[in-house]
Amino acid sequence: MSMKPLHPMEPIEPGKLERLKRNYLVQAWLVLMLALFFGAALAGVHLELAPKIAANKTNETYVKIPEIILGSELAEELAQQGEALIVEPHTVAVEKEQRRIVYTIYEASYPDGKLAGWVAKSSGQGYADKIELLIGFTPSVDTLTGIFVLDQKETPGLGNKIITLDWRQQFSNLKTLQPIEVTKGGASDPNQVDAITGATISSRSVTGIVNNAVADLRGPLTAMANARGK
Amino acid sequence: MKAEQTQYTPVIHVSPAPHLSSRDLTTRKMMRDVLLGLSPVVFMALYVFHWYAVKQLMICLLGCLAAEALFMKMRAKSATLNDYSAAVTGIILALSLPGAAPWYIGVIASVVAIGMGKVVFGGIGMNIFNPAMVGRAFVMIAFAGAMGAPGYEQIHATVDVITRATPMDAFKQTGAVASLDSLFWGLTNGSLGETSALACILGGLYLCVRRTASWQIPAGTVVTAAALAGIANLVHPESNWTALHHLLGGSLLFGAFFIATDPVTSPLTPKGKFIFGIGVGFFVMVLRLFSGYPEGVMFAVLLMNGVTPLINHWTIPRPLGAIP
Amino acid sequence: MAVAPTPAERFIQGILPENPVYRQLLGLCPTLAVTNGLQAALTMAGAVAFVLFCANIVTSTIRHLLKPHLRIVIFTLIIATFVTITDRFLAAYMYGMSKLLGPYIPLIIVNCIIICRCEVCASRQSVFAAGADALGQATGFALALVSIAAVRELLGSGMLFSVQVLPESWPNWVIMILPPGAFMTLGLLVGAVNWFEQRRSEQAESERG
Repeated sequence: MSMKPLHPMEPIEPGKLERLKRNYLVQAWLVLMLALFFGAALAGVHLELAPKIAANKTNETYVKIPEIILGSELAEELAQQGEALIVEPHTVAVEKEQRRIVYTIYEASYPDGKLAGWVAKSSGQGYADKIELLIGFTPSVDTLTGIFVLDQKETPGLGNKIITLDWRQQFSNLKTLQPIEVTKGGASDPNQVDAITGATISSRSVTGIVNNAVADLRGPLTAMANARGK
Repeated sequence: MKAEQTQYTPVIHVSPAPHLSSRDLTTRKMMRDVLLGLSPVVFMALYVFHWYAVKQLMICLLGCLAAEALFMKMRAKSATLNDYSAAVTGIILALSLPGAAPWYIGVIASVVAIGMGKVVFGGIGMNIFNPAMVGRAFVMIAFAGAMGAPGYEQIHATVDVITRATPMDAFKQTGAVASLDSLFWGLTNGSLGETSALACILGGLYLCVRRTASWQIPAGTVVTAAALAGIANLVHPESNWTALHHLLGGSLLFGAFFIATDPVTSPLTPKGKFIFGIGVGFFVMVLRLFSGYPEGVMFAVLLMNGVTPLINHWTIPRPLGAIP
Repeated sequence: MAVAPTPAERFIQGILPENPVYRQLLGLCPTLAVTNGLQAALTMAGAVAFVLFCANIVTSTIRHLLKPHLRIVIFTLIIATFVTITDRFLAAYMYGMSKLLGPYIPLIIVNCIIICRCEVCASRQSVFAAGADALGQATGFALALVSIAAVRELLGSGMLFSVQVLPESWPNWVIMILPPGAFMTLGLLVGAVNWFEQRRSEQAESERG
C-alpha cells in the first residue's frame, strides 16, 4: 500500500523544452533582438548626426547672444549700425558634490572692447525631456539679462509656453543674489516669476536650471569679470 | 391595464395636460414680433449712426438671407427665408457690430452665422449656439483690429459719435465716465444697437408682454448684473462707474432682451430660463470686471448657450404627485 | 468576402476612400497642430510618410515571427526607432523646421495611423502589399494636411508657402491661424469629403443596379 493516490487535478510536470519555451526571455527573443539591433542603429545615427546638430545649436546660440544680453530692441539697433558683439567661448568647470560640471560660457564684448555681458549654456530635466537654456548675465554678474530656450520637448499648449517671450521676459532684470521662486498667480516679490497655468513642473524646471547655473557660476564669472577689468 | 402601462416607457415626450396648440404661434409670427420689438432699436441706430447703420444693416440682412438660401439649397431643403428667422439673425448681427466696420466683416459674419451657427447643426431649431453671436465671435477673433476699440473709434468718420471712444473703452483706458443721460438716450459710440438703453427697454418690454421673449431671462440677467455691479462698487467705492453705468452702458440690455432670449438656444422651463439669465448676468460682469475685454455679453451668451442642455436636464418639471 | 485588394488598389484606397484623416479620423493631433502653414504641414507629412513606410516594411518582413501578446511592443519599438531617426535628421539638416515642429515630431510615435496600419495590414500582408498600403495612407495623410494648411495659411495670412499670394489689402483672418481655425477647417473639410464620397458611392451603386 505504498502507492500514492493519483490526484486527478494535479498538473503534469512540464518537460524541460516546454519550460524553456515558457520562459519570458525566450518568449521575448524578438523584442530583445530588435531592441539590440535598433539600439545599435540609433547609436550609429547619433554618432553621424550629433556634431551637425551641435553645430546648429552653436550657430543659434551665436545668433541669439546679442538679443539675450541687450534685449531685442538694442540688438536690432546694433545690427542696423552694421556692428555685432564680439563673442568668445570659454569653458568653466565647477566642482559640486564631488561632481565636475562643465559649463560653456560666452563672453560678449562691444566692438570697442567693453564687456557687454555673459551668456551661459545650461540644461536640466524638464517635464518631458531635457531642457537646454541660454542664460544671460550683466557684466557685473549681479543681474540676469534674460533667458532663451535652445531645446525642449514639453507638452504642446502647456509646458512649451516656456519658449514664449512673454514668459521668458520675467527673468530679465532679476537679481542673482537670491534664488528665483515660482509662484502661482501674480508674482509680487522682485525675485519671483509666475508659473505657466497648467505647467507648474515645466516652470519649476526652468527656474531650477537657472538657479543652479546662477549658484554655480556667480563666483567664477565675477572672478573672470574682475580679471578682465584689470 | 395598470400593469400594462408601467411596462412601456413613453416614446413621445409630452408635458402634462392641458395640450393646447395654437395657430398663432408659428415661427413666422414669432419672428415678426421680434422684428417689431427690434424696431425702436433699429430706429435709434439709424438716428445716431445715419448711413453707417443703413450700410451695416443692409449688408448683414442681405448676407444672412443669401447665406440661408445658398446653404438650404446645398442641403436640398426648401428655403426657409419666409419664416424671417434669417432676417432676425441678420438684424441682430448688424446691431451688434460697430457701424464703421468694413463691409467684408458684415458679409463674413453673416455667412458664418447662418452656415456654422445654424445650418451645420441642422437648421432652425437645432442649433446649440446663437447664430448671430457665432458670426460675431468669428469676426471678433479673426479681425481683432476692426472689431476692437480702434474699429469703433474712427477719427475721419462723417458721423460725430463715431469719432469718440465708446463709453466702456473710454472708462477702461482713461477712467473717463460717461453721463447716465447719454447712456440712457443712447447718444454715444458703440455697437449699432447697444447705445440706447431706452430703445432696448421699450422693444424688450414689448417682446416680454407679447410673451415672444420670456421675461425670466432678461430679469435674471439684469438682477444678477446689478447685484454684482453693486458688490463691485462696495469693494471699490472710489470708482465712478456705478452699478447704473454697468446696467445702461455696453450691450447688457440689448443682449438680455434680444440675444439671450432666443428660444432655440435658451432653456425650456421658466426655472431654467431664470438660471440661464443669472448665468449670463454673472459671466457678463466677470468678463467686464476681470478680463481684458471691455464688454462680455457675446461670450457670456455663448457660454450659457453651451450649458443650456444641462440646465434643461436639471429642470425637467416633475408631474404632480410623482415620486422624485 | 471579396477578393483581397491588389497593392495598387491598396494604394488608391488610402488616398481618399480610406483617407486616414478625412475618413478614419486618425492622427488628428498633428493635423490640428501643425497645419497653420504649408511648410510645417509638408514636413510633418514627409516625416510621417517615412516612418509609416519603414515601419510597415519591417513589420511585414518579421510578421511570421510575431507573437500575438508581444506584437504591440514590437510595433512601438519599430516606430520609435524610425521616429528618433527622423527627429535627429530634421535637427541636423532642417534645424529651423525641427524647432518649429518641436515635440510634434517625437509625438509621431503615438500617432495612431502608423500603429493602425502595422496592426491591420503590415502584420498580416506581404511586404509588397504593406509597402503599397503605407504609401497610400501616407499620401492620404499628406493630402489632408496640405489641404487644411492651404486653407488656413491662405485665409489666415494671405500666403502660401510663406509667399504672399493674395493682395496686400487682404484682411488676414487671424482666427484661421489660431486653434479654432484648425477645428473649423477640419470639420468643414471632413463634411465636404464625406459628401463627395457619398455621392460617388451612390453613383457606383446606381451603375451596378
